[in-house]
Amino acid sequence: MLKPILLVEDDLRDQELTLLALERSQLANEVVVLRDGAEALAYLRREGEHAAREEGNPAVILLDLKLPKVNGLEVLEAVRSSPALRSIPVVMLTSSQEESDLLRSYELGVNAYVVKPVEFKQFVSAIADLGVFWAVLNEPPPGSLRASRRYD
Amino acid sequence: MIGASRRHRSDGGAWFPALFPGLVLRADFLRPYVLKPIPDLHFCDREPIRVPGAIQPHGRMLVLDGTTQALQAWSANWADVAPAALSVLDAQVLGETPADGSSVQVGVLDLASRRHVCWAHRNATQLIVECEPQAEVLRPEAPIYGLARDFLPRLQAAGTVQALIDLAAQELQRLTGFGRTLVYRFDAEGHGEVLGEALMPGYESYLGLHFPASDIPQQARALYLSNRFRLIPDANYQAVPLLAAPDGPAPGEIDLSQAFLRSVSPVHLEYMRNMGTLASMSVSIVVDGRLWGLVSCHHHEPRLLESSVRAACSHLGQLLSMQIEAKQANAQVAARLDLRQLTLQLVAHLADSDASLRRILDEPAVLLRMARASGAAVVLDEQVWTTGETPPSPALVELAGWVAGLGSEVYQSDQLAAHYAPAADWQGTAAGVLAISISQVHRHVILWFRPEVVQTVTWAGDPRKSQQPDARGRIHPRLSFQRWAQQIGGRCLPWSGAEVSAAGELRQALIGIVLRRAEELAAIANELGRVNKELEAFSYTVSHDLRAPMRHIAGYVDLVMDTEGAALSERAHRYMRHVKSAAAFAGQLVDALLDFSRMGRTALKLKRVETAGLVQGLSLELSRHESGRRIEWRIAPDLPELTADPLLLQVAVRNLMGNAVKYSRDRDPAVITVRALRGPEGEGLEVEDNGVGFQMQYVGKLFNVFQRLHQSDEFEGTGIGLANVKRIVERHGGQVWAWGEPGQGARFGFVLPEARQNAGMHSPDGAPADHA
Repeated sequence: MLKPILLVEDDLRDQELTLLALERSQLANEVVVLRDGAEALAYLRREGEHAAREEGNPAVILLDLKLPKVNGLEVLEAVRSSPALRSIPVVMLTSSQEESDLLRSYELGVNAYVVKPVEFKQFVSAIADLGVFWAVLNEPPPGSLRASRRYD
Repeated sequence: MIGASRRHRSDGGAWFPALFPGLVLRADFLRPYVLKPIPDLHFCDREPIRVPGAIQPHGRMLVLDGTTQALQAWSANWADVAPAALSVLDAQVLGETPADGSSVQVGVLDLASRRHVCWAHRNATQLIVECEPQAEVLRPEAPIYGLARDFLPRLQAAGTVQALIDLAAQELQRLTGFGRTLVYRFDAEGHGEVLGEALMPGYESYLGLHFPASDIPQQARALYLSNRFRLIPDANYQAVPLLAAPDGPAPGEIDLSQAFLRSVSPVHLEYMRNMGTLASMSVSIVVDGRLWGLVSCHHHEPRLLESSVRAACSHLGQLLSMQIEAKQANAQVAARLDLRQLTLQLVAHLADSDASLRRILDEPAVLLRMARASGAAVVLDEQVWTTGETPPSPALVELAGWVAGLGSEVYQSDQLAAHYAPAADWQGTAAGVLAISISQVHRHVILWFRPEVVQTVTWAGDPRKSQQPDARGRIHPRLSFQRWAQQIGGRCLPWSGAEVSAAGELRQALIGIVLRRAEELAAIANELGRVNKELEAFSYTVSHDLRAPMRHIAGYVDLVMDTEGAALSERAHRYMRHVKSAAAFAGQLVDALLDFSRMGRTALKLKRVETAGLVQGLSLELSRHESGRRIEWRIAPDLPELTADPLLLQVAVRNLMGNAVKYSRDRDPAVITVRALRGPEGEGLEVEDNGVGFQMQYVGKLFNVFQRLHQSDEFEGTGIGLANVKRIVERHGGQVWAWGEPGQGARFGFVLPEARQNAGMHSPDGAPADHA
């Protein structure tokens, strides 16, 4: 069983487009979609309604920067300061090109920082690259198909 | 032959001029002006003028113990009747003599068939009783009543100090019958000047004469203040010594400073005789507790004044003093008000302007009038502005530095060269200066100047003659009163207290304005900081929230075309492409705008940047993107090394070179030249193309945000590139410019300051390098 990809995104359209992109990159991983930072932390810590989920960390967390309740930077900080979660790759997905956000993300130990391209095709290829790199290349599960990237 | 002890006494050069009865003069009375050094023997300051041990012979004196009324001393002219005389006086009346030193009548005595009136006053320890023969002439009333009734109203009606003085001189002459009555005023330094006089026939005029301050030693001035009336009825008198009781004090220890019979120095009497003045009298004018001046009377013949006349003279002195005090106070208030008015005018003008100190010269007449100056200057560090007659600018800068170095807020001198040697060169225009220092940190000084007044001062005789010993080896009193014109060089009219304090007030007001200005600037800076923060927050929001919808539009259009493309008409496909490209362009605009705002905000990280490598790399990169075109790059080999933020400089150069590539796309080949610029303002680059160019009339708009000179379907772009270039260059303190000619091409250049010369590293010839 492949580890799931955790997508934390509050914007439904971004969510749909990201899921489409992940789908097009033909990754076999399950994608868990959560809509705010608090829920993401509950999922990761197996608390509240996620208490019953199976053990194990996601393959990668795709984290939007601007999130309700607990924002992306705070989630990242919490992940990095928890011994159980520390090793999960985190990719910050954001609309922002703000240098301060970028600096802060790297300070907190983000693995990648991706400014979502306006062009859908670029967006798809960026997501696909990320998914492949973090979900597949980093930890190729034995016997699984190597996902092929698709560029239009 | 001169005896040593005798010379010791006479070398003091002291005498008593008839002008100031009872006073001692100093030989060095013109110290600043004599060429030869004078032995400075403070003889006069030691002269026992308060304790002469003798009295004048027109009365008799008893000296009693202040408490027991025991007879301690008496004048020799009592013969042996002193104790008897004392027994006639009422001990209780004597005991009631006031302690403040004022003189009261204590009884009458009949001596040698003359009735004598007795007066008593106290010194610190004793009771001094003075008896004088009663006047033989009977007056209908005491002269003091006439003074109050007739003179006082006229005094009050007088409009000026001069009118007061003239009235007083005439009244004193009328009261005393003395031949010459003079009224002096002493200036701040103690020099005397005759301001008014009343003369009888046969008396020489002294009006306008000046007397040096050193004529009156300190102890004499003190005596003038405490005893305001002095009379010497006959300069030929034989002094009557005081005789002391066996257990009494030495006669030379009895303080007679308040006694009207006090004997004066024989030197003074000799001086009076030499002048032909046998009687003299003076009344002090005391204003604000200071010796303001004197009324002095001379008479060729001996002249005794009875007590009622003396009282009237004293009273006249007091009336005159009070009136002068009032007049002076009024005049000072008026002068200060006037000056304040002028100060306010200056300050009001400055407050309305940009508050730069030199604006004070916009009102030159007011500035000069404020200090009654003939020239004025504002010096701000090395910059100088002047009005009227002033020393040359370089001298002003140095003078301002010297004044600022003194550390005083207001400096004034009517004889600048005495303190500041370079001033000797321009005494004609600026013998004296009044200056205010506005800033302790900067050399910000306002200066006023007055020219040298060749003050023609008339002195009472040639001071140098007085140094000549006479045949008997004594320094003799001045024998002649020829007018002596003493020219004082290197001085201007003194700055008045009101002028100096007005300058001080102006300084305070200016500092107030400067401070207010600084506060305003600080407030603006605060406001700017706040606005900047707002802008940052705004652009942050824009970057997040404006990009998302653009992305959604583009994304969903793509999805529609992907999934439903087959069902759409060709026209629908075209529409969808427009939607997509519009969204993409909007996204680019947002990104460009954010870049632009970031250019202005991020801190500069300055490094040495080798532009040759940068330009080379960019030319290759740009050529790659235009693979279908022929581009001829002509890159000079001597491109400079600049001090700049490498990232920002790259953005700027990329923009300029990218523009050159873009706007020359119709040319074959496109020729793009990059050359070095080196000048006094720094070093930089210039990029020239042979493209479409532009009209110079729009050059000013070229660097504005979103300003485009071409239609967007002609040349793509956001219109923000050159605005970025300008912002980057200006953040480095540099300059940017453009030149263009429609159809011929364009040239853009910039220079950055503080770039070190590195010429010589490359061959100086601009051989073009081709990178087609």
